[in-house]
Amino acid sequence: MADKQGDLVQGTLDMLILKTVALEPIHGYGIAVRIEQVSNRVFKVNAGSLFVALQRLNRAGFIRSEWKASENNRRAKYYALTEYGRKRLASETRDWGRQVSAIAKILEAT
Amino acid sequence: MSWLRSFASGLRALFRKEQVDRELDEELSGFLEMASEEKVKGGMDHQGALREVRLERGSLGVTKEVVGTSGWESFVLSLWQDLRFAGRTLRKNPGFATVVILTMALGVGANTGIFTVVNAVVLKPLPYPDSDRLLTLWERSRSDGLDSTVAPSNFYDWRAQNRSFAKMAAIDPYPDFILNGTGEAQRLSGADVTGDFFSLLGTRMGLGRDFLAEEDRPGQNHVVILSYGTWQRYFSGRPDILRQAVTLNGAAYSVVGVLPRDFSFVSKAADYQARNQFDLFRPMALPVPPPEWMRGTHPLCVLARMRPGVTLQQAQADLAGIAANLERLYPNQDKEKGIAAVPLGQHVVADVRGALLTLLAAVGLLLLITSANIANLVLTRATARGQEIALRAALGASLARISRQLMTESLVLTAAGGLLGLLLVYASVPALVRHLPPDLPRKAEIAVDGRVLIFTGVVALAAGFLFGLTPIFHARGSLRLGGRGVAGGRSRLRSSLVVGQVAMALVLLAGAGLMAKSLWRLLEVPPGFRTEHVLTARLSLPPQYTNGFKFGTGMHRAISAFQRRLLDRVRAIPGVQSAAFAAYLPLSGVDNSWSFEIEGRPPKPPGESDEVNYRPVGPGYFETMSIPVSRGRGFTAADNEDGPLVIAINESMARTFWGAADPIGQRVSFSEDKWRTIVGIVGDVHHQGLDLKAAPEMYLPYAQAPNVEARPTIVLRTSVDPLNIAIPLQKVVAEIDRTVPIDRVATMQDLVTNSAEQPRFRTAVILTFSLLALFVASIGLYGVMSQVVSQRTQEFGIRMALGATRGGVLLSVIGQAAKLIGIGIALGLTGAALLSQTIARLLYGVAPLDGVTFAGVTALLVIVGLAAVYVPARRAAKCDPMWSLRYE
Repeated sequence: MADKQGDLVQGTLDMLILKTVALEPIHGYGIAVRIEQVSNRVFKVNAGSLFVALQRLNRAGFIRSEWKASENNRRAKYYALTEYGRKRLASETRDWGRQVSAIAKILEAT
Repeated sequence: MSWLRSFASGLRALFRKEQVDRELDEELSGFLEMASEEKVKGGMDHQGALREVRLERGSLGVTKEVVGTSGWESFVLSLWQDLRFAGRTLRKNPGFATVVILTMALGVGANTGIFTVVNAVVLKPLPYPDSDRLLTLWERSRSDGLDSTVAPSNFYDWRAQNRSFAKMAAIDPYPDFILNGTGEAQRLSGADVTGDFFSLLGTRMGLGRDFLAEEDRPGQNHVVILSYGTWQRYFSGRPDILRQAVTLNGAAYSVVGVLPRDFSFVSKAADYQARNQFDLFRPMALPVPPPEWMRGTHPLCVLARMRPGVTLQQAQADLAGIAANLERLYPNQDKEKGIAAVPLGQHVVADVRGALLTLLAAVGLLLLITSANIANLVLTRATARGQEIALRAALGASLARISRQLMTESLVLTAAGGLLGLLLVYASVPALVRHLPPDLPRKAEIAVDGRVLIFTGVVALAAGFLFGLTPIFHARGSLRLGGRGVAGGRSRLRSSLVVGQVAMALVLLAGAGLMAKSLWRLLEVPPGFRTEHVLTARLSLPPQYTNGFKFGTGMHRAISAFQRRLLDRVRAIPGVQSAAFAAYLPLSGVDNSWSFEIEGRPPKPPGESDEVNYRPVGPGYFETMSIPVSRGRGFTAADNEDGPLVIAINESMARTFWGAADPIGQRVSFSEDKWRTIVGIVGDVHHQGLDLKAAPEMYLPYAQAPNVEARPTIVLRTSVDPLNIAIPLQKVVAEIDRTVPIDRVATMQDLVTNSAEQPRFRTAVILTFSLLALFVASIGLYGVMSQVVSQRTQEFGIRMALGATRGGVLLSVIGQAAKLIGIGIALGLTGAALLSQTIARLLYGVAPLDGVTFAGVTALLVIVGLAAVYVPARRAAKCDPMWSLRYE
């Protein structure tokens, strides 16, 4: 059971996935683990949300997938960022930054 | 193009479902194992690790389900499931499915059929480019508001002076041509048109070319354009017909063009002396400018095409200015005359539009009644399926999901029924067109087209949606109440459906009753002449009979001689009792009227004249047609070219112009210096239609007519079946002169019947609809009362056990039904009373609120309705109390 803090803000999972696959081609489990590690286990990624998001991003053309052998010689589907996805990530990051600083200003003002 | 990728991968998921599933399985199990390996490394046993992962990350099955249903294709998949499920359910219950599909096919088919006609005749744009800019122009008399055809000189001035029209063309429908040299002499119906007639319509020739401007000049116009049908029939579709000489009326013409196969001149038959299609066209070749006498004769129909951007109001204002100018310049002929401009499409269907829309409304009511029946059936089934639905709800199906499933079932039935209805219509269009009244405009365009398909689809879907809602309401009710039925609510819904059916059926019956009574009244009108045992046929006299004729000179001797010879031979045919000639036959759609003056009365002011119908007839006509001569005498052989000029008038004319005075011996004259003495008064005849009042008429001896009537109709009174005389008559005509074509061979009875074809057709259609409605509504009543009886069986058992009689039970059931019928009738009568005003224009001799009709159809409905409920009521009365108490 993910507690309240572990819930991702609506729509941010897509951005986190894009950021994660931007570093190198990576399989689903790897994405989940990395998001958890990097966030110091603030976020916990549910398999259902993860794979729905992957399918959506794949269909939208932001990422592409490829079956490859994994580190322990199992076949796994690896996801990599497309050029289109890279642009998307950049714009989303920019928007996110703007929103966060705006929210911060509002919170500081009160 | 991300939607394209989404679409493509969705399609892949649909069509490569197994592979996509396998990949997802592999990916997810990989995920599970990687996660659990992590745990095992941390010291857990394998099973425990798997359980832990499932807890942390959610179950694989659910994940798979969630991923699988996240794309758009999953909607398609579940729809497919629903469709298959619907198909299975309906196959298990073929009786239900068949009844619903057939009922639906009936409702949708009838609607589509009528719409196909309405679409072609009223709704479709005319078959010409930019047809909304086409107008017809008429001379409108300001004193009586009537429109009339146009004088050539007026047409010439309108065309020269207007600023609103890109083109203005005229058509003169009178010329007839006798085609010689292709076997038997053939009479072709022709029209003279101004040179730009076809370019105004936007018609391109199928073969050859349009008329040239120089061919539209006097003396240059020996060229013709043939209709496609004429080209095929008389010239076997030979392409070398172009520029070949053909002999028409004894003169050489060359064919310059052939119209395309699909050309049809959209027109109202009444404007063109009962002709609406022409075999050939010739340039009119109006003299430039037309001589002044052409302002006093009015043969032309005028078409105009508005310039782009010009509105109807602007065009009308422009024409009003021209009319005022002409009135000032020509006070004698154009006094009190305006110009009426009517869009061509509106003008052509003005007479039939109301009737067709009425039929469409009637067939719409029929559809509502059939839909109500289907709703009732579906509801009965929904009751039976209550448990299944409750079970599905208990297993977790949402109301939305169940509703979708139920709606899918209804729509599958609808689609099947609608498709069947459409196929029926598609197959029956040729038969439908044959049974339509012959003078219905635009009949040739009737076909199932895109609009019809859309109409059928919308109607069927709307009907399916409506009756698909009823089981959903029912399912909602039963789910809320935990699976047990809600008998009260359901039977209220069913009862209101039946009340509605009864009401709508009564509206239709009332409409049909009014129309039937009106038709009966119409056919009862005495036409003023004998209709039994009379044969008529039209002859066309070639130019050798009419050459050298000048207006008023009475060069009839050649025609008279021909007529005398023919009559002598015809009267000798066994079975012929008498025979005579007439120029204009009653109810034939052919007519003429002339203005005249009465001797000794002051001349009329300019712009006004007395005008009556004008009928040249031969000796023996009144006797042959049994038109009574009430005073004076009829015509004899002595009333010929050499005899004193005489006329006979009908009673209407005597009343209108002489009142109580005696017209016999009075003299009248046409615009010539000859006085004609009235020698007889004859009975009134309904010449233009049984529904129209007999008009004032004057009869002249054929041989004394001031004009030449080159198309005499021969009338024969026979002692045998008149059609038996048709062949001998044709033989005799051919023996006397091979170059005289004979056509329109018909009995007088046929002409009378045809004249009432429009009211007969609409009455037949609405009568059929209303009887179907009555039938369907009584089935609805029967169904509801059967249901009521089976619900109340226990109650009846108890009542009878407590001493109620069978009669009492019977009455109680019938009483319940009578209440429904009563409410329905009250609503129906109110509706009928409100709606009957809208068909007042279609009625003849019967008031829209005709009490006898309303009472009659109400009685019919009561009798049929009670008969329908008598069966279930008797079943209730017959049931065994012991058995019915155990009944559940």
